[in-house]
Amino acid sequence: MRKLSVLLSLLVLASMVLAACGGGAATEAPAEPAQPQPTAAPAEPEATAAPTEPPVEHGNLRVNLSTFPDIIDPQKSSFVNEIAHLNKIYEGLTKFNAKLETIPGAAESWEFNADGSALTFTLREGLTYSDGSVLNAERFAYSLTRNIDPATAGEYAAITDEIKGAPEWRGCGEDVAVCDAAKAVVVESLKASHADGSACSGYDDTACNTFTVTLSKPAPYYPTVLALWVGYPAKQENIEAGGDTWWLDPELQIGNGPWILSELDQGITGKFVSNPNYWEGEPLYDIEFSYITDGAVQFEAYKNNEFDVILYGGDDVASIEADPELSAQNVVYAGSCTIAIMFHQLKEPFTDKKVREAFAYALDRDGWVKDVDSDTSLPTLTWIPPGYPGYKEGETRYGYDPEKARQALAESSYGSVEALPEIDVTFGDSPRNRVRNEWLAAKWKEVFGEGLKIKINPVEPTTYTALTKDIATSPMVYRLGWCADYPDPQNWLSVYWKTGGFGERIGYSNPEFDALVNAADVELDPAKRADLYAQAQDLLLDDAAVAMMYNTKNTYLVKPWVKGWIPSPQDNSYPGDVEPTSIYIDVASIPQ
Amino acid sequence: MAAYIIKRLLWLIPVLLVVSVITFILMHNTPGGPWDRNLDARQVDKNTQLLLNEYYGLNKPLWRQYVAYVIGDWDKEGKFVWGLISGNMGPSYRQRGRTVQDILFDPPKNKSAWQSRWGYSARLGLFSLAIAIFVGIPIGIFAALGQNTWRDYLGLFIATSGISVPSFVMGIFLIIIFGSWLGWISIVTKEWDKIGVWIVPALVLGFNTTAYTARLTRSSMLEVMRQDYVRTARAKGLAERVVIFIHMLKNAMIPVVTILGPALAGLVTGSFIIETMFGFPGLGRAYVTAISQRDYSMILGTTIFYAILVALANLSVDLVYAVIDPRIKLHD
Repeated sequence: MRKLSVLLSLLVLASMVLAACGGGAATEAPAEPAQPQPTAAPAEPEATAAPTEPPVEHGNLRVNLSTFPDIIDPQKSSFVNEIAHLNKIYEGLTKFNAKLETIPGAAESWEFNADGSALTFTLREGLTYSDGSVLNAERFAYSLTRNIDPATAGEYAAITDEIKGAPEWRGCGEDVAVCDAAKAVVVESLKASHADGSACSGYDDTACNTFTVTLSKPAPYYPTVLALWVGYPAKQENIEAGGDTWWLDPELQIGNGPWILSELDQGITGKFVSNPNYWEGEPLYDIEFSYITDGAVQFEAYKNNEFDVILYGGDDVASIEADPELSAQNVVYAGSCTIAIMFHQLKEPFTDKKVREAFAYALDRDGWVKDVDSDTSLPTLTWIPPGYPGYKEGETRYGYDPEKARQALAESSYGSVEALPEIDVTFGDSPRNRVRNEWLAAKWKEVFGEGLKIKINPVEPTTYTALTKDIATSPMVYRLGWCADYPDPQNWLSVYWKTGGFGERIGYSNPEFDALVNAADVELDPAKRADLYAQAQDLLLDDAAVAMMYNTKNTYLVKPWVKGWIPSPQDNSYPGDVEPTSIYIDVASIPQ
Repeated sequence: MAAYIIKRLLWLIPVLLVVSVITFILMHNTPGGPWDRNLDARQVDKNTQLLLNEYYGLNKPLWRQYVAYVIGDWDKEGKFVWGLISGNMGPSYRQRGRTVQDILFDPPKNKSAWQSRWGYSARLGLFSLAIAIFVGIPIGIFAALGQNTWRDYLGLFIATSGISVPSFVMGIFLIIIFGSWLGWISIVTKEWDKIGVWIVPALVLGFNTTAYTARLTRSSMLEVMRQDYVRTARAKGLAERVVIFIHMLKNAMIPVVTILGPALAGLVTGSFIIETMFGFPGLGRAYVTAISQRDYSMILGTTIFYAILVALANLSVDLVYAVIDPRIKLHD
């Protein structure tokens, strides 16, 4: 016994000592940021901050992102938390403002050629990285080429497939000669040059400010696509020096965005300091990300003043509404996703349009939003959400109407609710989803009567995803949504609903719709284009392919000392992060 | 003794083989694959899926994939890449560019091995085990010695609540009390260097084991208390403390040590709840998320690693038996 207790105490002692030792190694200076950090002296107010106020003290915004990213590499990242890091460090040729308009980013202007098949960007003068080195068009050529390169195999590689030669290179297979030829086409399509068209001399060439993208067909939405993270100009030499794990080293993540990555402690914290070399002006705050996954813990931490902003879920709504202080800090606004009830057009009984209409009429969206989602969503009858280009106001088709639902069912080929086969509502199993789908089934039973044979069908979540991806295995009824990749109707309509797009999985295919969006995708006149997309969306709604249900909302709690944020539906880590430089922190009012 | 240890270690190899075969078959038979991401995110397009499948060797027949994982295979350039037998646990499907052993065992740049995910989990597990031993065993003794008095009921109460209360409930409870109300700890830990920040996570992780240990110690002590040699010892006039700690406890420890070994293996790898609640940078999360992410290498790697830990824990327990009870001989 004595020997055992001695052994164990030594073990415990050793672990404590080693914990402290390990700590010792960790307290060495973190990676040097590329530029000297601003001290407590107030930073220059930038043009977009309140101009009449005295210089604002530099603040620190503490945000919780639920999980640590798997990879922070512009051409390999795809998840929201990864993009949240990337868009602080880098900036693309274009970017979005809070109204989701495409505005100049690293490029100060762009124009299409006569037939819309080539897009030429002119970069700003004197553009630099955060470490002061030159940022020219060659960098963007490298980044976009890397996105298309089959060796990179990035999960968002397909988004640049409109570039001439991209799909061929990505699908070139094993043959070296074929691949080299395909690569050459892509390299020609992503041309960096001087203003007069002469070739650039490399990454140090300051006169290399023109970037021409050749497209395989006209794509007027392309400036919007190029604002995405896949075109962010990470440095080639840094990527090659660091190998596969280059992205973990802040010293190699040199970017041209509003912030510099100063510290990345895996799973613990990610710190960003403002970039004094950012062309639009240094932001007024630093950012600190934490990665607490549990919603209840992050809520406690927020109440304890350890976070300045958190994204909360439906579970916390009741506590927030019960507390006057938290209610005042509650920020809720329309988000970027639309969720619909999908009906498989090739599986009975949803092959019959009248049945689909009936179930759409029987959907009590307001009830869902209030009872199930605690008002963290917004009912909708259209596909494109509010705030996005192409949103249609005042849509009324297939709104909740139990009479019309029963009538439509009577008019269908089945005639009555008893004649319908059993309806299986499939979903990814989780306690929350069970409640939601039971509600759905019960509501439909309420409208159609007890004769409706309906059953919920929970499936393991990843298996569920696999099922929904293939037309043969796709369930007959399930809830699914789409969140915008970029704010353009092409992403909502063409990418999703065109034959061969994502809508194929439920068997949706309408040649008229295809014709409309194909015409709209290449139409250079913005008014005509908008009209064509509007017609296409109307056609989609007419077809009653799915029952549009609700839009998500961004639900944040924001401390009162965080000011100046301009909300936009595409925000993903904190309110106003689409236009993050307008935010400032009222440091004086932070309680000690 | 040495021969015994070597024999036991050699037995590890067939055990690991069986574990890996079963895991491999199960995981490849599960529907869904690594490219079936959360439905909120855009799904990977077909072309990229083909490229990724080729890169990871998913387009090869299953037996070949298994052999490649364990022994090795030629890659695209014709070079032979060694597998598990050289310590290469394969590339992660989710964290592109990193191997499983790199994710679990490599510390960040310029940091010591204790700062790797394994290092953090090991430290937390040891700390929790220490709590289980130095709190659980005394509670058990206390309860046993005062059987059917308030001491017993208190001990049983602690033990029962520890076994029944789930760790995430315990966790949020302690966070609210010590973080929000008393303000003694900060809820979000940004630096894991100081020993103080480890206490609440270790408590949460170790409470269940502490409770089991207390219960087992109590019942085992009760059994030993009634033995003749204890009466003899008391009759001899030995001090009560000597009777308890030298004569009773040593004999009562056998069942306790039996569970503590594998419990340590479980504590070290089971920190998933702690990681989601406290943002603890350990490897428990990898076990759980790898399954829904269908990260095949990570599933295999973590399962095999856990099997090794349990086997080593059982071996240590057997060795400890020999230490605390000289009557036990390590024969083959």
